[in-house]
Amino acid sequence: MEQPDAIIHQPVRLKIMAALKPLPTNDPVEFVRLKALVNATEGNLGAHITTLEEAGYVSVDKDFVAKRPRTRIGLTKQGRRAFQDYLDYLRGIIETAAG
Amino acid sequence: MSLTSKEAAESLAQAEQAHRRSAELYHYSRAAPHLIMWGAIWVAGYGGTYLVPNYWQWLWGALIVCGCIGGYFVGQVRPDCKNGAWAWRMTGVMAVAVAFVACTYAIMWPVHGAQYAAYPALLTGAIYAAVGLWVGLRYLVTGALVMALTLAGFFTLHDNTILLWMAFVGGGSMILAGVWFRTV
Repeated sequence: MEQPDAIIHQPVRLKIMAALKPLPTNDPVEFVRLKALVNATEGNLGAHITTLEEAGYVSVDKDFVAKRPRTRIGLTKQGRRAFQDYLDYLRGIIETAAG
Repeated sequence: MSLTSKEAAESLAQAEQAHRRSAELYHYSRAAPHLIMWGAIWVAGYGGTYLVPNYWQWLWGALIVCGCIGGYFVGQVRPDCKNGAWAWRMTGVMAVAVAFVACTYAIMWPVHGAQYAAYPALLTGAIYAAVGLWVGLRYLVTGALVMALTLAGFFTLHDNTILLWMAFVGGGSMILAGVWFRTV
């Protein structure tokens, strides 16, 4: 990777990806929980999730629990790989600079 | 767009911080239902022992079996645990703890009821505090609180009132800790 992934390399989206990474693929996190985790506003988080979803990095599941809407977000395989590549890219820069 | 090593280090630190916090909170959320369930078992067990002291072995025997079986099903609720590995492990941990307490009683022979009542709670608190050193502060706080409350009851209360103390203060603090574990 010559350049950082522009989709991930944005502070809020980076936090979203990093917060989703330790979660199992089949256990997505609820929107309200993710909002608190990354410390973002609802509108801001929604916009960034849309960007990540359009890139295929996250999946968004919407359903109803006890008649209340629930939105859950999880990392896709593609997103997991892209995030790992991004982290490797960062580490590569640091290691190169350290000599 | 290329990054300097300083920018790369900052981004990496941000990512690691978010990753760590998320992993810790996920661990808490998995443990929360177990804490609430065992808190309720403490309330029933210690409260029941206070009310019908002659049947404490039967009561606790039934509650422990319920707790082990319940722990398996509570563990199964998580979608990532459908293979049962986590659920079986949780049941196994409980079984080991119960066996350890029983073995300790067998070789140490406690001389009065308060020792029987306080020891499992102290052990539970110690386990939580130890886990907290690896996993996160909430475990440590919960463990320390359970141990402190147990010791406070043991040294200040007389007769069977420690059973009520353990039921409502010990069990209640476990339930509250479980609710705390569910929050972000």
